[in-house]
Amino acid sequence: MSDSKINKTKSSDYWKSLKEYYDDPEILKAKANEFQDGVTDDFDPSSMSGLSRRKFLALMTASAALTATACSDYRDKGEIIPYTNRPEGLLPGKPGYYASTINDGNESYGVLVKTREGRPIKVDGNPDHPINKGKINAKIHASLLDLYDPERITDPMKAGRKSDWATVNTEIISKLEAAKTNGKEIAILTNSINSPSSFAVLQKFIEKYPTTKLYSYELHNNANRLNGWKRAYSADSILPAIKWNEAKIILNMDSDFLGREGNTIENSLLFADSRDIMKSDDFNRLYSVEAGMSLTGMNSDYRIRLSAESYYEFVLSLLNEIVVKRNVSAFPVNSQLLSEIQKHSLTNFISKNNLNEGRIYNLVSDLLRNRGKSIVYAGDSCNSDTHYAVILLNEVLENTNIYDFENGFNSVYALSDASELDELVSNLNSGNVTALINFDSNPVFNLTSKGFGSAIENAGTVITFALTPNETSDVSEYVLPINHALESWGDAHTRVGVYSLQQPVINPIFNTREKEAEILTWISGNENKYSQDIFHSFLKANFNTYIGEKINPVAGQDRFWYASLHDGFVKLKPTESQPPVFQQTKLKATGKPSDNVLLQIQPSYFVGDGRYSNNGWLQELPHPVAKVAWDNFAAISPKYAENLGVENNDLIDISYGDISISIPVIIQPGTADNTIIVETGYGRKVCGDVGLEVGFDVNPLIDSSSINPYLVSGVSVSKGNGSYELVSVQEHHAIDDEFVKDIHKKRNIIQEGTLEEYKNHPHFLHEGKHEIFSITDEHEYNDVKWGMSIDLNKCTGCGICTASCSIENNVPVVGKDQVGVGREMSWIRIDRYYSGTPEEPEVSQQPMLCQHCDNAPCENVCPVNATNHSPDGLNQMAYNRCVGTRYCANNCPYKVRRFNFYNFRDHFEDSYYDNELTSLVNNPEVTVRSRGVMEKCTFCVQRIMDSRETAIREGRQLKGSDVTTACQQACPTNAIVFGDTNDAESEVSKYRNHELGYHVLEELNVKPNVTYLAKLRNTHSEDV
Amino acid sequence: MSAIDYTQELSVVEGKPPLREIDELIIQPLDTKPDKNFFIALSITGSMLLLGALMLAWSFYKGTGVWGNNNPVAWGFPIVNFVFWVGIGHAGTLISAILFLFRQKWRTGIARFAEGMTIFAVMTAGVFPIIHTGRPWLAGYLLPYPNQHDLWVNFHSPLVWDVFAVSTYFTVSFVFWYVGLIPDFGTLRDRTASKIKKVIYSVFSLGWRHSNRHWQHYEMVYLVLAGFATPLVLSVHTIVSFDFAVSILPGWHTTIFPPYFVAGAVFSGFAMVQNVLIIIRKIFHFEHIITLDTLERMNKIILLTGMMVGYAYAMEFFIAWYSGVQPEQFAFLNRAFGPYMWAYWIMVSCNVIFPQFFWIKKIRRKISVMFIIAVLVNVGMWFERFVITVTSLSRDYLPSSWAYYKPTLVDGGILIGSFGLFFTLLILFTKSLPVISISEVKAVVDGAQPSHGEH
Repeated sequence: MSDSKINKTKSSDYWKSLKEYYDDPEILKAKANEFQDGVTDDFDPSSMSGLSRRKFLALMTASAALTATACSDYRDKGEIIPYTNRPEGLLPGKPGYYASTINDGNESYGVLVKTREGRPIKVDGNPDHPINKGKINAKIHASLLDLYDPERITDPMKAGRKSDWATVNTEIISKLEAAKTNGKEIAILTNSINSPSSFAVLQKFIEKYPTTKLYSYELHNNANRLNGWKRAYSADSILPAIKWNEAKIILNMDSDFLGREGNTIENSLLFADSRDIMKSDDFNRLYSVEAGMSLTGMNSDYRIRLSAESYYEFVLSLLNEIVVKRNVSAFPVNSQLLSEIQKHSLTNFISKNNLNEGRIYNLVSDLLRNRGKSIVYAGDSCNSDTHYAVILLNEVLENTNIYDFENGFNSVYALSDASELDELVSNLNSGNVTALINFDSNPVFNLTSKGFGSAIENAGTVITFALTPNETSDVSEYVLPINHALESWGDAHTRVGVYSLQQPVINPIFNTREKEAEILTWISGNENKYSQDIFHSFLKANFNTYIGEKINPVAGQDRFWYASLHDGFVKLKPTESQPPVFQQTKLKATGKPSDNVLLQIQPSYFVGDGRYSNNGWLQELPHPVAKVAWDNFAAISPKYAENLGVENNDLIDISYGDISISIPVIIQPGTADNTIIVETGYGRKVCGDVGLEVGFDVNPLIDSSSINPYLVSGVSVSKGNGSYELVSVQEHHAIDDEFVKDIHKKRNIIQEGTLEEYKNHPHFLHEGKHEIFSITDEHEYNDVKWGMSIDLNKCTGCGICTASCSIENNVPVVGKDQVGVGREMSWIRIDRYYSGTPEEPEVSQQPMLCQHCDNAPCENVCPVNATNHSPDGLNQMAYNRCVGTRYCANNCPYKVRRFNFYNFRDHFEDSYYDNELTSLVNNPEVTVRSRGVMEKCTFCVQRIMDSRETAIREGRQLKGSDVTTACQQACPTNAIVFGDTNDAESEVSKYRNHELGYHVLEELNVKPNVTYLAKLRNTHSEDV
Repeated sequence: MSAIDYTQELSVVEGKPPLREIDELIIQPLDTKPDKNFFIALSITGSMLLLGALMLAWSFYKGTGVWGNNNPVAWGFPIVNFVFWVGIGHAGTLISAILFLFRQKWRTGIARFAEGMTIFAVMTAGVFPIIHTGRPWLAGYLLPYPNQHDLWVNFHSPLVWDVFAVSTYFTVSFVFWYVGLIPDFGTLRDRTASKIKKVIYSVFSLGWRHSNRHWQHYEMVYLVLAGFATPLVLSVHTIVSFDFAVSILPGWHTTIFPPYFVAGAVFSGFAMVQNVLIIIRKIFHFEHIITLDTLERMNKIILLTGMMVGYAYAMEFFIAWYSGVQPEQFAFLNRAFGPYMWAYWIMVSCNVIFPQFFWIKKIRRKISVMFIIAVLVNVGMWFERFVITVTSLSRDYLPSSWAYYKPTLVDGGILIGSFGLFFTLLILFTKSLPVISISEVKAVVDGAQPSHGEH
């Protein structure tokens, strides 16, 4: 015991119980046998849970991670799927470019489509295209949005219900067969057909179904011009384009050739070419005679305000002055014409219309002095007699070499005339038409005045091809959704010398088909014959016969096809032909000008005749003259407004026959008295949410007897009830208000001179100016420093830069309500200023964007450094850092900063553009800005970075000319130049140091990096 | 003229109330249960506050777009309100600090209350810089805190100066106010019968025993703090004026702004204090402590600062003309004759013309009239900030971007809410703390100080 006790004291200094202390044997036994019998008996790893310790830990980790992530709010839950098989030629993050063609009315434009990861994100002009030379109009730019329009028709519809292609095609084919056997008419109604292949498809259809009649219409057409031309020359002579760049004197008779009349891109390009001070100081001189202020009128050196009914008389008076009085003519004018001419005297005309005598006689002497180098150009709205008289005047003045026959206008299929359309309506009404096929046309809206809306109800079956719902599809039994232009094959031959090809750049997003493919399926008589490339193979075959066989390429037809597809166009050899010979006939004396109120109906600058109505980008582009967005309006002169007793936004009632519409007024300086200018394309009744009931439908007022929609004489006008809020991006204040008159000139925002002044005195602009010096040391920029210059001589104010910029930079559509409270988001805008009198205003325009000032006033007031300067001279925005104090916007003298007052992605029309489909339109290189963040022009920093990356990869210095900004790329007159101002040889440096270069608000010494070249007006010296 | 003995300083407390009575009078509102009027007043201001809170919640939910702010006018009501409320605060510090240093005894009756108004006004003002931002949840970016991005605030920006100026002002005013309250807490502690109140008062009185040493220290601390607060009266609104003056906008970019803003702030602050005290003295029967003489003196200050403001208005026009700078000249003509001329003439008539009635002694001493004039002064001073902020922005350099600013109902709701917040705090103040400094008033009662006269 004693031993054990000693043992105890040694071994257990710690005891748990007295029993243990005294070494109770039971305890000792238990201690020796820690694992008692039976405790480990059942230990059988195989029978235990399969959960290993490792697995348990793994599961714990995973569930902890899952819990953690499930609780976090990661909003972008989109799937990211890597390519297992990467499509050939597609590199993630690298854009692909495809040449294609997009139509706009009877014009077609060569485009270059930029795609990223298989989705088109930008449409620009094809730089190699011989006509539009890399430039396209705003409508084509914005047509990209139509591809991603959430309201596109996704499936074929039958009687308003979703159907499928097999059902509708089987039914349609049996109906067509029935029509064929019964000898009933099948009418195909289409807009202008520009595509030879489409036309060939339709002709094959006519062969198959011989009772088919093909009608083609454009609401705004050049029928009068064609008639005049054909009368003057021959019925098959080509309507020429105009070499504007060769004309020294241009007399424009109400043709908005720079704005909306057709071929505007080529016109602008050529017109601005002879206003390029860097090339020569020999500018053209533009006289515009017009009733309403147009884009072209704004760009005129002299604008002559004249009522539309007096155009004819004006041309005849000019002819009288030149041919009879001055006895100048390239050839003897026949007696019939002469007698008509002699009825008009210029002196009488001037006094009768209260015109500026000196100005008109200057015009006459200019025309005489520049015989062979001038052009008189009448607009589509002029009647065919005026066109004939204008052609005669050009012949008399030997101006025919200004005509460009090589690139003349080609018509694949002539438009129907008024009688043909009337016949269609009467056939419809008499029930003779069993099937009316609307080939992507919307006659119910466009041809309201012809009573199409009621006539269509009498058609047997109405089949409508459409992209989005419209007034016609709404009353159609079958609505067949078509591919967007970017999903379709096609071709176009609108100019004699150029044939363009259209290729799809994305698979059809929805269950849609090319309309031609559908017709081909019907021709085959069997729905099963349809395949996605049915029209593709037809096109290729047709290409061979239409082009390939004529050219007979050495490399073989197949390679020629692919090469042409790559280029997007084929240049055709001009056919050797003599210029057409002028035929002297007689002029029908058109009625004397009346005291009637004239209604002039023009297409909208941006939504056309309504076919682009559902496009938010286009709706939000401000009208180039009135600066009104999201509406149309009646433009009237200040005097006429006073007579009617109306002010801006007041409604007036315009009635013609038994039709009357109410429309709000804009008092437009420079409008002829007793004239009302309205635009079509608005007031859509069936449309997507964007265009629905935007503005006022003026189509019912169109004179139904004429194919020419432009002029309606003898409307009655009265002050309407109430007013309607028009929204505008610029304040409308009276231009003769002394308080604010000419501020743009007093503050040197707009600096101008005359060409004469410049020639005598090249430094006139900077004389007497103070030299501005800084009291601090200037920051040095040693590497590339970015700068821009804008030539105000070339800028026409068309607004295409705004469209292109918004698309490139993910600028959101904000909607009418937000434009109304001055929250439009455009990063570049066109400022328009009036000076002079309300009757004869002088217009100045100026694109305004972030000036990227060296001493940027926005930067030092930002409390969080969210806006700061980059080492290459960019004023940049760190969106993540921006708190939204908006102090920068207050301190920006140019007011080019734009604030996201809402989350504009989902603000517009109940998140109209905030959906999975439409977000595909966003440029992945540009941050989509959230609510509460300031934004502004970045000089397309994403493009700069891309070029820098390329330069680094290629191991060379980045050059200023490597970068093209979106606005510069889109500018149809190349008025915008961008580059490195540190490089003395760069183009932008030359502009910057030019004697006409100036900065807006120089005296603030903020040192802007956008240089403007002062506008020179090519007026007569005696006017100065 | 009646025979006034100018050798004798008139007492600022009328009658010769026993000191104990003063204690009781001032403490009474704290000891009695709030009556019906209190709850009516509180429910009105509370509703205003609630309206403001709802409008604010709506703004946070939707974005700043629910306000009238637009493209040239990026600052609208919130900034106008901010400057207005900061201005209101100025009278308090001026009364408690500057007048203290100048030994103006008449301030004793009104100092506590005016200081309280300062604190509540600055609190109300402080709401606006935060809520006016596009992303208020990131307002912390405005503070210079060390971070891994190595990002600092932009010390060039007046908005950052504002953050410092206003927060310093608030802190100093608060400490000053609290130090002034310590002896009163002591008195309260000694008098109260309620246990809970006793604990609270004991904590806040910091062991105050009215001992001679305590008084000695107290007087010194109070003097030092007064000295500390004095420059702040001038600096805060100077820096607030820099928000405008440092910019390059015509109509903002003016060197006269700092003194002009300070004068304007004192002007509006006094008007507000006068308004509120007229009501308070009536309700709590403080007529003999906040005497008509005191009110008259305040009216004199309103008259003086009103003329300083008027001088600034005139000088702005003169300098604009004298500068020969067209945008500058236009900015001022546009104020007076442009689309916002209504606001400008409201401002001029309320701030310059109506206070001129205070030249007449009868009006200076007529409570109803002075009340109306002071209300008009505050209307005018609110419009002054509106004119400066909105009119200048709405027509700046490029005529192409000019636009008219129209506030929305939400803007109005937030403005009402700010008044709701201010007055709710004031009403709660009247029932929780002595609105008049007990110890100071007792010190200026006739006979409270040892003098030779009665020996």
